[in-house]
Amino acid sequence: MTKTVGAGRAARRLLEDVNLEVDAGEVVAVLGRSGSGKSTLLHLLGGLDLPDRGRITLADEDLTRQSSQRLARTRLRHVGFVFQAFHLIEELSGEENVLVPTRLPGAKRGGERRAKKLIEELGIDDIKERRPHELSGGEQQRFAIARALVNDPELVLADEPTGNLDQENGAAVLELLRRLEDRAVVIVTHEPQAAAIADRVLHLSDGRLSQPAVEARRARLGGAAA
Amino acid sequence: MRGSAAPRHEKQTRRQVKAAIAEASIGLRLRRRRTLLTAVGIVLAAAMLAAAIVVSDSLGKGFSRAARQAHLADIIVRFDSQPARRVARRINALPDIRYFSLRQEVTNVSISSGANSAGNASVEIVQVGGRGPHGYALVAGHDVTNQAGQVVVERGLAAAWHIPLNGTIDISGLGAEHVVGFAEEPDNVAYPLAVPQIYISRQALGPEDNPYVNEAQIWLKDPRYLNEVLVQARATSYGVEGLRFVTRSGVRVLLDQAAGIVIDLLVALSLIALATAGVLLAASARAEVERRMAAIGVRRAVGAPRGFIALTQAIEALLIAVPAATLGTLAGALATGGPSDRLLMLLNEPSAGARLIPLLAAGWAVSIAIPTLAAAWPAWRAAGRPPVELLRGAELKAHGRSVFGRRTPGALGSGGSLAVLGGRLAGARRTRLAATAVTLGCSTAFVLLMLALASGLSNLETDPQALGKRYQLTAALPPSAVQKVKKISGVQAVAPRYEDQAVDSFSLGETIDVIGYPGNPTTFEAPPLTAGHRPRGPDQAEVGTGLADALGLSPGSLLAVEFQSGKELRLRVAGVVGSFDHDGRVAYVPAKAMLRADPFAPEELAIIVKPGANTAAVQKTIGPAAAPTTGAIGRGVPLVQTLRAILTAIAIVDGLVCLYALTQACALIVQERRRTVAVLRAFGAGPAAVGRLLAGAAAALVVPAAALGIVLEATVLGPSLSSLAANYATLPLAPTTADIAAVLIGLALAAAVAVAWVTHRATSESVVLGLAGP
Repeated sequence: MTKTVGAGRAARRLLEDVNLEVDAGEVVAVLGRSGSGKSTLLHLLGGLDLPDRGRITLADEDLTRQSSQRLARTRLRHVGFVFQAFHLIEELSGEENVLVPTRLPGAKRGGERRAKKLIEELGIDDIKERRPHELSGGEQQRFAIARALVNDPELVLADEPTGNLDQENGAAVLELLRRLEDRAVVIVTHEPQAAAIADRVLHLSDGRLSQPAVEARRARLGGAAA
Repeated sequence: MRGSAAPRHEKQTRRQVKAAIAEASIGLRLRRRRTLLTAVGIVLAAAMLAAAIVVSDSLGKGFSRAARQAHLADIIVRFDSQPARRVARRINALPDIRYFSLRQEVTNVSISSGANSAGNASVEIVQVGGRGPHGYALVAGHDVTNQAGQVVVERGLAAAWHIPLNGTIDISGLGAEHVVGFAEEPDNVAYPLAVPQIYISRQALGPEDNPYVNEAQIWLKDPRYLNEVLVQARATSYGVEGLRFVTRSGVRVLLDQAAGIVIDLLVALSLIALATAGVLLAASARAEVERRMAAIGVRRAVGAPRGFIALTQAIEALLIAVPAATLGTLAGALATGGPSDRLLMLLNEPSAGARLIPLLAAGWAVSIAIPTLAAAWPAWRAAGRPPVELLRGAELKAHGRSVFGRRTPGALGSGGSLAVLGGRLAGARRTRLAATAVTLGCSTAFVLLMLALASGLSNLETDPQALGKRYQLTAALPPSAVQKVKKISGVQAVAPRYEDQAVDSFSLGETIDVIGYPGNPTTFEAPPLTAGHRPRGPDQAEVGTGLADALGLSPGSLLAVEFQSGKELRLRVAGVVGSFDHDGRVAYVPAKAMLRADPFAPEELAIIVKPGANTAAVQKTIGPAAAPTTGAIGRGVPLVQTLRAILTAIAIVDGLVCLYALTQACALIVQERRRTVAVLRAFGAGPAAVGRLLAGAAAALVVPAAALGIVLEATVLGPSLSSLAANYATLPLAPTTADIAAVLIGLALAAAVAVAWVTHRATSESVVLGLAGP
């Protein structure tokens, strides 16, 4: 797919014939410098934006051919987002923030049960009544991850999930993302530590996705071993 | 160093202003929709203010203006026809007289023009070319001259009959007369509320050495000595029959009271509209500043002065406010100018015209100043914070606690919903929520009051009981028929009712409608009591407020009236009652006493029909002698209709204010919670979900506002206005269930429109842009 932002002389091609396939259970890290188009790629994958050219297929459906309402429904059922700035709603407790996606019309049933389980699994049960400003960055990101997973999505998209965290909390969040099973996870980041937990590491540079030589070799080795 | 610091500073300031104008213009172009919403608010507030100014000034100062323009006499004296010289001699003998004008009033003259005709016109034969004024103002054309065939007609008549200037009017006995001018004479209301009035010149009727006159208009050198002159005039008028004095202040009382209620309502409502606009525009400006906090931080960090930041905001607000306030002021003035002018014409008062311009200009300036200050102040405050804090995007004020408490257990737990979240988002700004809910509540109360008033006015027109008449039928039958009528099925009570005209014995002038009932008159006629008590004996009477004002009567005073028979009736005033009949110049007396003084007083039967009985059937049984009682203001229908038009206009503007307040409140929530809405949309919230969120926010405003509005109308506004109107009529102004239902539906519709529009706006935006920031 291809994506240009801006218009006229300010137009800038951020993605040029990018081709990416992520399987269920696979964690893909996309590394790149600031402004390289990582977030744009993530928005396209999640159906928040549309490419100029190309197709995005999720759960056997072409997102580029869907109406905005249908896209919203696809996001609701198949996609979970984790943001760098957490974007928790200040008026709600941590638990209530997790429950928000389950209250949207058309959400999968059993949201409350899943929310409870996720909160327990992520170790934030004791602080679930706290409001965001009463939580540390790491705790906020755990609630954000729980919110991303509460509707049981097949695809989890994380935009700089460790960008606002210290090293220890960042590592813990990455570990959480690593442990997600049966889901395709795409993490875009400019921090190389993310590469450590990924099954596949890609570099986005000059609008093109590429696999670093060491990664390609590792992949080939892995393939031979398999 | 050469050159002083002052020119340099001036140059720098000019540069800063230019830069601020450029930046503000760019800002407006970038935020077109938000600009439009702000502009709509200013248009509404300015329109409301202009409407209040137009109606308040037009009606409030109408009489003074009319009196000034027409040179209304300090004393108007009417009497039976006398030779002009005799009258002039008597008046010349009075002290403090500046000048006077004599005229002959001929009543019950038949006139016609086109398809219209009337048999009760009053033709005023005036002396032209005298040294003083004539007591009427010419509003078009010119005055009558000493040439035959010219008339001036009152403006109300010309408007009602569509008589053009230079048109013709047929006057019985004179033939077709040429209409050379339109006049207003503020001593009475205009046609059709009163009889049609026409002015012709005495000289045009032919030479007459000592013509007869029956009206004198007197201007005093010093109106402070009015009472002394009146005493002298009464003393020297011995032998003059049918004398009636009317003073300028007496005319004013009647006319001013009618306008008072409307003016009070409008002023209150315009204050509400201004408060609404102020609160919401200030909130909008604050939200906008918060959104730009980082940008302000960058400017401050690179050295932009605090004043420059505030100036940019002020100029941006000015660029919106100037055209919006101009449009609103024009719209408000035009919307209310028409009905006000019509009302003034009915009251025989001139429209304010160009005199309104300075006031409207002041209103326009206020409409610009409020949003400008509301925009500049938060920017000034924000720019005063350390740039580092601003760059972090710090809020203007620390997070307050939600009105729903720190936490609402289960708000999004079991059974919770997006609507609850919307309510919590609205509640996060406590002051704004309270201010907007109070504004909406006041508007709701006013709309309820308008509805109650409208039905109250209809009652005045159609329901005689609103004016204190408790009988539904009258019958032109003698008192001997009482027993026979009483036996008719459906009749509850019957009594003879006597009514005749008399004059006040002391003032030798004021005509009074005297109404007599045998026994307790309040069974049949009980206008609201405004002072004293009901009559308790055969020597006591009730008088109307108009009569009490004219004669200075109060409970305990002596009422002495003289009938055409020449006999006098003297009774003690027990109470003063509000009555529209005969402008309140009415006295309720015991029939026995009345018949002693006036044995041939016209009589009829007053019939009260049993509750639930068929009045028409009773009327049919009695026969052609029976007639239904009508509302007492049949002739006042145009006045009522005009008042209703003004009330409707106010209610519509009020409704628009509600709609604006709701839309702006929802838009502000979306503006401030842009990222929250974007996050919800990223997780799959479609327009329906965003709509639910905003519906919850709107409900947080509407529900308390509706409750407040109903309570305010039922406990404060309705009772207050009822007591104001109690001098005239029984107007129950408590909201009915239908009124409440209509207002609740209206509020719900306004909320639905606001939610739909803001939802559409919010969901049209790219999610990615929303995630980028507030």
